[in-house]
Amino acid sequence: MSPRLFLVACFAALALAALGAVAAGTILIDRNLPEEMAQFSHIVIVYGGGIMFLLVAIIAVLWAYLDHAVAQPLSSLTRGIQTVLYANPEHRIEVDDVHQLGGLPPAVEELVAQLGVARTRVNEAITEATTRVEEQKHQLETILRELHEGVIVCNLNHHILLYNDRALDLLHVGGQLGLNRSLFSFSNRQPILHALGRLTNRLAGQEAHPEGLTVPFICATTDGRHTLEGRMGLMLDKDGNPTGYVLSFKDKTEELAALGLRDRLLRESTEGLRGPVGNLRAAAEILVAHSDMPAEEQAPFKQVVINEANFLTTRLETLAAHYRDVITGHWPTTDIYSANLFNNLMRRLRDERQLEVVMTGIPYWLHGDSYTLVEVLDMLIHKVNQHYGATTFDLEAVGGERHIYLDVIWKGAPIPAHELDTWLDLQLEDAFGRLSIRDVLEHHKTDVWSLPHRETRAQLRLPLPPAVQQGAKRERRRMPSRPEFYDFDLFRQQPDLAEIGERPLKSLTYVVFDTETTGLQPSGGDEIISIAGVRVVNGRILTGESFERLVDPGRVIPRDSVRFHGITDDMVKDKPPIHVVLPQFRQFVDDSVLVAHNAAFDLKFLKIKEEEAGVRFDTPVLDTLLLSVFLHDYTQKHSLDFVAERFGIEVRGRHTALGDALVTAGVFLKMLDVLEARGITTLNQAVAAANSIVEVRARQAAF
Amino acid sequence: MAKSILVVEDEPNIVLSLQFLMKQAGFEVRVARDGEEALREVEDKAPDLILLDVMIPKRDGYDVCQTIRANPDWREIYIIMLTAKGRDVDRDKGLSLGANDYVTKPFSTRDLTEKVKHILSGAG
Repeated sequence: MSPRLFLVACFAALALAALGAVAAGTILIDRNLPEEMAQFSHIVIVYGGGIMFLLVAIIAVLWAYLDHAVAQPLSSLTRGIQTVLYANPEHRIEVDDVHQLGGLPPAVEELVAQLGVARTRVNEAITEATTRVEEQKHQLETILRELHEGVIVCNLNHHILLYNDRALDLLHVGGQLGLNRSLFSFSNRQPILHALGRLTNRLAGQEAHPEGLTVPFICATTDGRHTLEGRMGLMLDKDGNPTGYVLSFKDKTEELAALGLRDRLLRESTEGLRGPVGNLRAAAEILVAHSDMPAEEQAPFKQVVINEANFLTTRLETLAAHYRDVITGHWPTTDIYSANLFNNLMRRLRDERQLEVVMTGIPYWLHGDSYTLVEVLDMLIHKVNQHYGATTFDLEAVGGERHIYLDVIWKGAPIPAHELDTWLDLQLEDAFGRLSIRDVLEHHKTDVWSLPHRETRAQLRLPLPPAVQQGAKRERRRMPSRPEFYDFDLFRQQPDLAEIGERPLKSLTYVVFDTETTGLQPSGGDEIISIAGVRVVNGRILTGESFERLVDPGRVIPRDSVRFHGITDDMVKDKPPIHVVLPQFRQFVDDSVLVAHNAAFDLKFLKIKEEEAGVRFDTPVLDTLLLSVFLHDYTQKHSLDFVAERFGIEVRGRHTALGDALVTAGVFLKMLDVLEARGITTLNQAVAAANSIVEVRARQAAF
Repeated sequence: MAKSILVVEDEPNIVLSLQFLMKQAGFEVRVARDGEEALREVEDKAPDLILLDVMIPKRDGYDVCQTIRANPDWREIYIIMLTAKGRDVDRDKGLSLGANDYVTKPFSTRDLTEKVKHILSGAG
């Protein structure tokens, strides 16, 4: 019952009681009036009635006052509190100023205010905690994603709760593992159950196990094609009861196969050779001990000697060939990009040995242990510096038929083989386990040697195997190449070459460059999104002296063009615009000759922006596409890919501006030799050769 | 005049056979047991062809090869490396340092004899 209703009831009852009492009193008085006062009877009744009316009036006024000053404010308070509690925490409770609740409304107001503060704090704490959990989750996800091991978390029913991408790769699952699916859809059951059994036993046991709550396991994928090795760890709740387990694992298939192959080779080269050697020995001993034997009796023994010797030769060749293919698993080797390796080496040589080092050529991917290779090269270069006084070195990776050569080049004489051989026994300075240079070479199954290089220089050559693969990712996607682009006027406006035109091509400084653009219409609103160049000096590509910038084109990059260059809007959104980048590039070019493949295309883009950027590209330009047409007019295939292939330049880099500039530089250097053989040795002659092609194309275009 | 061959080998068992085979084929044969002796023999009188083992005492086969190639007077000497080192890298190294041919042990004596005869008849 609401307070107001209760009040109404109370006062109604009070009024009734008062009325009853007065009525009863009046009637009683009236009945007992003495005879002589009977004429006052109506007066009594009138008084009684008057008192009753007065009483009801007083009670009514009292009620009205209490209802207004107590019951109504109480109701408002109640409604207000309810609103704050259930509807709007910000609601302000309002009570009429006329009330008789004393300190209650302000007290309630204070309570509500404090409640509000408490609520805000709780909410903040919750938000903070949630953010922290999110952050931790994100970090965990990052760690899991970057891990080389596959990681899977399962509950005790072997349902998958969490996994990383690497786990997908290792289990050879395309798409998703599917949370809550059974682990045993992907891996065989017994090894997992066995490992889990060992862990739960260990948990139940009294003694703490030195390995803690993890055990190693080896299992296979359900199709049996891949062997996985890793560790299982038990997950416990706060009371120490197991709730699930974590698996971290690697693919051991290849390593185990390699170990197996090595075991087999060892067995075959010991046991397998006993028989034939035994036959050989017996026959030889008999021939020697019984030299008086008649010739026809000797013949079969001689035949045995020849047969077994031949058999052993073949056997040995097979064993050696197999041995070469065995990957020695104990030495950690990975695919390495030669430019990264050289950069590490250069830092060392510059900072610690104060030597001048220049990286040249086109970088290659190779396979080895980066750390020990840097140590070895560092020491060898240090020795060359000490013994031959050379202080400037070129570092270059060269692609051979079976190996990638890491070449160190300096001015001077090559190192005599016997001297180099003594250096190989030096121990690496910072190395672990007293490793010598020879040890590192053995691990890489390689050797070093020194040769003269281009008349006055010498080189130290270290061959290494090419990168194993991670192939698909690194394989250059054969992207559609640009259509040939001609702007005939551009070529007719070659600057006055004057003095530089008569200088030998090989003595000039070049900047070989490439751009990536939003499309193929320089005059139709397409823009440069990436520009890169590399300097070529004295027949060397100065890999370290390169220019590479992404450019904000100030427009959306069309989806269609992304497949050419892989550059997205996101990648360029914080990059400088072209009028900032172009002056930087102009400075990089300085007075070098510009070289590009299909140069007219790139140059047109530069020319259009000249005014906006306040620079002029007035240096001479050579186009490897035109030179290719000039040199190899028998074919129509002059895209960079085809030209590079023709000149034997391995193209492994992605379709980036710098990657293409490096390949173009490689092509250009090879072209210089061929041009020389065709009698073209000066810049004037090269420009004339290219122009002759432009004229032919211009006439073709006129038809 | 008979063509001359220098056999550079420290392993008597194979020297025996090589010496026999080359003499049989009508060549003048000298033998050196280590790298230094080999270079002395070459200086003494340059042979037309050298059968050069890689793993020999004092100065190894690579060193001998490189030293010979450094002297323009000896450019015409045909060098065949005979070696138990059978890796691609070893072959690469031998040919890079100036050997004309690279033969791994064990080899067929008949093939080797034919090869030497062919080279010396063609070259002379």
